[in-house]
Amino acid sequence: MSERTGRKWTAPRDARREGHESTPGRLSVSEDARLVRALVACYPAGWRRRYGDEYAQLLSDLRIHRRPALIIDSLRGAVRAHGGELMSRAAPMTVAVWAAGLFTVAGIGFAKLAEDFRGPGRTAHAIVVLMSAVALLALVAAAAPSGLALLRGRDSGAWKYVAVPVVGVALWFGVLAVAVAIGGKPGFVLLALAGVGVVAATAWAADTVLRRVPASPPRRLRPVALTVLAAGMGLATVAALVWGLQVRSRGAAGFLATPFLPSWLGLVLALGAATALAGLADRRQLRAES
Amino acid sequence: MTDELGRWAEPGLLVLASLADGAKHGYAITADIAAEVGVALGPGTLYAALARLEERGLIEGLPAEGRRRPYRLTAAGVAELTAQATRMRKLAALSLGRLRPATA
Repeated sequence: MSERTGRKWTAPRDARREGHESTPGRLSVSEDARLVRALVACYPAGWRRRYGDEYAQLLSDLRIHRRPALIIDSLRGAVRAHGGELMSRAAPMTVAVWAAGLFTVAGIGFAKLAEDFRGPGRTAHAIVVLMSAVALLALVAAAAPSGLALLRGRDSGAWKYVAVPVVGVALWFGVLAVAVAIGGKPGFVLLALAGVGVVAATAWAADTVLRRVPASPPRRLRPVALTVLAAGMGLATVAALVWGLQVRSRGAAGFLATPFLPSWLGLVLALGAATALAGLADRRQLRAES
Repeated sequence: MTDELGRWAEPGLLVLASLADGAKHGYAITADIAAEVGVALGPGTLYAALARLEERGLIEGLPAEGRRRPYRLTAAGVAELTAQATRMRKLAALSLGRLRPATA
């Protein structure tokens, strides 16, 4: 059922024959066209070049504006297409860098969540921190040849990307001042969004440098490093899961009545998603080396 | 009907079956599958299946007719559909054969 809308609909029988036109809807074309354009725009550029016109025609034929389930299906298709594009075309290091970005965001969230629980789950918490450090150091090791090539001046134009995280952090501190002035939940949300933006910009800059700067890493370096990255993330995810269960078992502060549960589950899911991405990056790197 | 078909309504297989009697464009495929099998393939699901089948060389796009592009089975697609249908026929025969004594 995962790849179907689950809703039945009756199409004009004559449309089953090749080349027959669909029955036009009574609503204005422009009303539909805006939605169709927006839905097609959700797909990756490469996909749009190949399928965009015919897909837009299909959406028009289906009178998509009347069918919320089909709109959702189209959006899910766009997500799958983006995922497929990332998985099928992106270099293993690109996938690894974005996995690390997601892991970093989730890890910061975990640190923020855990700071209020000093007692239970201390060992699991320590494992999360240790394995996170191992994973991120493994990524640094995998990226080191490109960093050395940059230092040796192989691509002087790539230096501007190194400034991205520095500028990003400086801007984040500016946002921090604004967030403190705003206060409350809006201030926190602003700060969190700014943090995610800085991490995303850093991941983009790192990926750009890795793709631009020519480097010749030792043959086994990246497969080993990405394996350690995925394993470290996986262990950290399991430890975060165990930590939450231990906090739950000892916590008398109304586990289900607090925002802890959705926050913890969301973070574990994000850590798990990052681990899955890192695993895919590792698998692709291993395939490339074999 | 959609739920009852479960995994047998795999979109790729449905698309291959729909194209077995000739080339069709996207809307004609969804309409055909809805009418003949009772499964509603959403547009995102349909084009994910079309892209996957095309990438595997099981179908091919024909020159576009306006903004509609018909697709047809390749020789590999015919072979794949034949193999899948044969396997399913064997499974159906086995299941019905074994159920008959129990229901008789």
